[in-house]
Amino acid sequence: MDSLSWPLIFAKMAVQFWPVWAALIVTVALSLHFRRRLGLYGKLFDSTVGILGFVIVMFWVFTAIFADLIITFDPLAQISQMKNVSPGTPVPGSDAWYLLGGDHLARDVFSRVVMGARRVLTIAPAATVIAFMVGITLGLPAGYFGGKLDTGLSFIANLVLAFPVILLFYLLVTPEIRQTGVPVVLAAILFLFPVIFVSVLLNSRYFTTPAKRNLYVGVALALGLWAYSGLAFNADPTGLWSMDPNLLNVFVSVVFVNAPTVFRIVRGIVMDLKSRDYVAAGQTRGEGPWYIMLWEILPNARGPLIVDFCLRIGYTTILLGTLGFFGLGVSPESPDWGSTIDDGRRLLSIYPHPAVVPALALMSLVLGLNLLADGLREESMRD
Amino acid sequence: MTDWDPSKPILEIENLSISFFTRTREIPAVMDFSCSVMPGEAMGLVGESGCGKSTVALAVMRDLGRTGRITGGHIRFKGRDLTTLTEEELRHIRGSEIAMIYQEPMASLNPAMRIGDQLAEVPMLHQGMARAEALKRAREIVADVRLPDPDRILRAYPHQLSGGQQQRIVIAMALMAKPALLILDEPTTALDVTVEAGIVDLVKELGEKYGTSMLFISHNLGLILDVCDRLCVMYSGEAVETGTVHEVFDQMRHPYTQALFRSIPLPGADKNASPLIAIPGNFPLPHERPPGCNFGPRCDYFRDGFCNATEVPMEAVPGHDRHATRCLRWPEIDWNAPPKIGRVTEKRPPGRLVLKMEDLKKYYEVSSGAFGGGAEKVVKANESLSFEAHENETLAIVGESGCGKSTFAKVLMGLETATSGSIMLFDENVQDTPIQARNTDTVSKLQMVFQNPFDTLNPSMTVGRQIIRALEIFQKGNSDAEREEMMLHLLDMVKLPRAFAERMPRQLSGGQKQRVGIARAFAGGAKVVVADEPVSALDVSVQAAVTDLLMDIQRENHTTLLFISHDLSIVRYLSDRVMVMYLGHVVELGTTDQVFAPPYHPYTEALLSAVPIADTRVKKRRIVLEGDIPSAMNPPPGCPFQTRCRWKRLVPDAKCETQMPPVKVLAGGHQIKCHLTDAQLAQMEPVLTRVTDSAGGTGGASGGSI
Repeated sequence: MDSLSWPLIFAKMAVQFWPVWAALIVTVALSLHFRRRLGLYGKLFDSTVGILGFVIVMFWVFTAIFADLIITFDPLAQISQMKNVSPGTPVPGSDAWYLLGGDHLARDVFSRVVMGARRVLTIAPAATVIAFMVGITLGLPAGYFGGKLDTGLSFIANLVLAFPVILLFYLLVTPEIRQTGVPVVLAAILFLFPVIFVSVLLNSRYFTTPAKRNLYVGVALALGLWAYSGLAFNADPTGLWSMDPNLLNVFVSVVFVNAPTVFRIVRGIVMDLKSRDYVAAGQTRGEGPWYIMLWEILPNARGPLIVDFCLRIGYTTILLGTLGFFGLGVSPESPDWGSTIDDGRRLLSIYPHPAVVPALALMSLVLGLNLLADGLREESMRD
Repeated sequence: MTDWDPSKPILEIENLSISFFTRTREIPAVMDFSCSVMPGEAMGLVGESGCGKSTVALAVMRDLGRTGRITGGHIRFKGRDLTTLTEEELRHIRGSEIAMIYQEPMASLNPAMRIGDQLAEVPMLHQGMARAEALKRAREIVADVRLPDPDRILRAYPHQLSGGQQQRIVIAMALMAKPALLILDEPTTALDVTVEAGIVDLVKELGEKYGTSMLFISHNLGLILDVCDRLCVMYSGEAVETGTVHEVFDQMRHPYTQALFRSIPLPGADKNASPLIAIPGNFPLPHERPPGCNFGPRCDYFRDGFCNATEVPMEAVPGHDRHATRCLRWPEIDWNAPPKIGRVTEKRPPGRLVLKMEDLKKYYEVSSGAFGGGAEKVVKANESLSFEAHENETLAIVGESGCGKSTFAKVLMGLETATSGSIMLFDENVQDTPIQARNTDTVSKLQMVFQNPFDTLNPSMTVGRQIIRALEIFQKGNSDAEREEMMLHLLDMVKLPRAFAERMPRQLSGGQKQRVGIARAFAGGAKVVVADEPVSALDVSVQAAVTDLLMDIQRENHTTLLFISHDLSIVRYLSDRVMVMYLGHVVELGTTDQVFAPPYHPYTEALLSAVPIADTRVKKRRIVLEGDIPSAMNPPPGCPFQTRCRWKRLVPDAKCETQMPPVKVLAGGHQIKCHLTDAQLAQMEPVLTRVTDSAGGTGGASGGSI
C-alpha cells in the first residue's frame, strides 16, 4: 500500500470523525431552532464569535465522548516498524494507515490525540468545577460579611496567588512532598467544599419544611460523603469512586491554584450585589445569611461566573499541558496532550508531527473556550 | 449659517422619525415628531419614560449610536439640516453651537481631570483660544453659575464636589462655548429638591442672561411650568400636544394631557374626598402600538371604529398660539367637565398605638485609617428620634438624602441595632433585637416596601416563587398547594393577573414589579409597613395607581404605613401626619395640615417652596437655599440647619450656632425644633397661595393658604 497524500489524510480523518460531525449538526440545528427559548445559551447563537467558539469546544467534547469510535488503533499499542513514521504511512499487515504518523514508541499519533481529548476534557472541567465550589463557598461569606473574615480569607488567597504556580506544582507533585501527606490533606480539605456547598444550598432553601429538607440534605450528604471518601482517601468500600494517586495530585494542585482567583471574583460580585433591595427584602423577612448568599445573590452573579468558568477551563487545560510537559502529570503512558508534546519535543527538529499535532489540538480547544467566553460575555451584556 | 434669519426658529424639527434596529426587528422610537424652538425660548419636552423624549434630544445631537437611525424628516438648526451633515461638520456644531446637559453629573465629568482644565478645554478646542485666556473665561463662568470660591473649584477634581456643585459645573461647561441651543435631559432628577430648586433658578437666569434657547426634557410637569415658555407632551413616540405652557396647563386639548394632570397629586387632592385618577392600562411597547391613536386603549373618550381607524395627524387648535393636538375628537369633548370621582371613602380614625419610638439614637463609628488607625469619627445618623404611630395611620417621614431616614428604617426593621433609646412595637421592645433574633410573628408584622422597582425583586426567580418564599419564611400555609393558593390571592390583592406568577421580573414593568413587592410585604399579614419612596422611581401615571393600591390595602388591613419620601406633593396627598427630618434630627412633626401651613420650621418652609407644582393657579414664594446639605460626618455646631437658614439673623446671641434648639410644642401637638420665638413663628406667611381665578383681573388676588 502507498503512503497517503495530505488531502487524502484529511479526508480519511474527516471520515473517522463522523460521529462528531453528526452530533455537531444535530446540536447546532436544534439550538438554532429553539434559540429564542433557551435564554443566554440561545442568545449565544446570535454572535458569530460565540458560534465559532461553541462549535470548536463541542468538537472536542464530542471527540472525547466518541473517542472509542474514532480511534484507528489502540493508543497504547506499539507496532515496531512504525517508529517515527511520517503521516499517512500504511501499517504493514493491515489495510489501515497511521494517519498522523507514529511517535517515538511507534504508537499512532492520531489515536493518541483523540484519546488525549478524553483525558483533558475529564480532568480540566472537573477540576474547574471543584475550584469554583471552593471559591464560591469561601467568597460568598467573605464578600457578604466583610470584616475580619474577609481580611483573613483574602490574605490567604493572596498568599496562594503570590507563590509561583509552577514552583508550587513541582512542590506538590514531587515524591518527597507526597510522602509527607500534604496532597492528601489538601484533597481532604478541598473536596469537602462541594459537599458543604450542596448541603448548605439545600438546607437554606428547604429548612422551612423539615421533612423535605431532611430528605434532600440527607441524599446530598450520603452521595457527597460517599464520593468524598473515595476521591480524597481512596476509602470507598464499593470502589466506585477512586482516583489514581498521581491524578489526585495533579487535580488537587490545579484546584488549589484556581480557587483563590474564583474566590476574589465571587467576593467582588457579592460586595456589589449585597446592596440591592432584594437582598434587603430577604433580610427584612428574616432570611438567614446563607439563603441570601446562595439563592438571592449567587444566581445573579452567574453571568461573570459562567464567562470565567469557560476561560478557566482553558487555563486549566494549559496548566495540565504544562504539568504534563514537565513530566508531572498523570501516568507516563497517558495520551494527554501535555505529556505527548513533552515526549515529542526531543526529536522535534527531525520528526515534528508527534509534538505538533497535540499542540494544535490544545491550542484549538483553548481558543474555542476563549471565543465561547467572549461570545457569552458579549451576549450577556446585551439588553 | 450666514443666511439664517434670527426671527426664524433656531431649531425646527419636522416630521422626524427615528427607529432603532435590533437583530430581530425595527423598533420605531419616535414617529412624525415636529416642534420648533424660537431664539431665547425654552421648550419643554414632557412624557413618561420610554416615550421618546430623550431620543429626540439625542437625534438633535446626531448621537443615536450604532443601532439608531433617523428614518424620516428633518432637523433644521439655524436653517441647516442636521440630518445631512457629515461627522466633521457635526463636530463643529456639537459643544459649541448646541450643548447638552445630562442627568447624572458625575458621568458627564472626567474624574481624572481638574475642573479648570475640563472647562478650558471647550473654548481651546472650538475657538482655538489660548490656555490662559480659556482659564480666565472658565473662572468667570464658574462665578456665573454661582459657585463659591471659583479658584478652589477650578483646582478641584470632580469627586471633591457635591452633586449639586457638579451639575453646576456641567452647566458651566455647556455654557463655555456660548451655545445657541442648550439641551437639558432631566438635569435635576438625580438631585435633592432644595438643590434642584437652585439649579432650576440658575438655568432660568442664565437663559435670560445669555439669550440661549433651551430644550428642557423632564418627566416633571411642575419643573416644566417653572422653566419653560412652551411645551410638547409626548406619548409613545409621538407628540400629542404642543403649545404655550399656560394654554396646555389650563386649556389642554388632548385626553392624555388631561389624564396626566389628574393623576398627579396637586394641592387640593385628597386621598379620601378626591382621589387621584390613575390612567388605566400600561404604556404600549414600541412594537405593540395600537392602530390609530396610540393612547386609544387607555383613553376615556375612545370610540371604536373612529379613533383606531386612521392615523391621527396633529391638528391646530384655532385661537391659540401654535397650540396643536393629536386627537380626532378634541372638538367634541367637553374639556371643562369635572372628572368622574371614582370612589369617595371615609377617613378612618386612627386606632390603637402600634409603634412608639423614644429618644432613639443611632451613631456609627467610622475610622478613617486603612489599618484601623486614624481619628475615630462618630456619624450621628439619627439623633433623639421620638414619635408614635397608630393603627390605620399614615405617617410620612420627609427629608432629603443624608437626613437619616434610611438609617431610621434599618433600625426599625432590625437590620441595625439602635445605639440607645427604645422602640416599642405592639408592647414589645425591639430596640436591641436584631432581625435574626426576632420571632417570626414580629418579623412578619413589620415589613418593608422598597424604592427601586428594578431592584426590589430577585431577577433570577419567578414572581410566584418569591412570594411563596415569603409565605414559607413567615410559616403561612401548611402545604405547598396551600401556599400556592395564598400566593395567587396575594396577586389578586395587588390587582395583577394570576398568570404573572410564572413570569420573571424582567418581563414586568416598573409599576407591576412594585405591586409584587407590595404583595410580598403583605404576605405575612403585615401590620406596620415601612414604604421607602415606593413610587418615586415610577412614572407619574403609574404612581397614582400604586399609591391608591397601598391606600386600599391599608384601609382593608388597618395597616400602619410609614411612608418615607422626599416628594411633598405625594406626602400631602396621602399622609395623616408628617415628620420632617434634617441631618438626623426631627425638625418638625405634626398633622399634615399643621406641617403644610404656617408656622413652619425654616427647613420645611424651604422644602415646600422647592417642590415644583404643576398648577398655574398656585403661587409660590420662592425660597432658594444656599449651599448644600452638610455632611453627617461633620455636622455644623448648634442647630443642624443653621448653615442654610434664612431666619437665623432674627435669633439673638448667635444661639443658632452654639445651642441645639429645644423642641417647641405648639397648639395641637405640633412640634418644631427651632430657636425662633412663638411670635416670630406666628408671623410666617404661607409658601403656597392659590390665585383666585382672575376673570380679567390682572395680578390676581391671593386666596389665602392652601
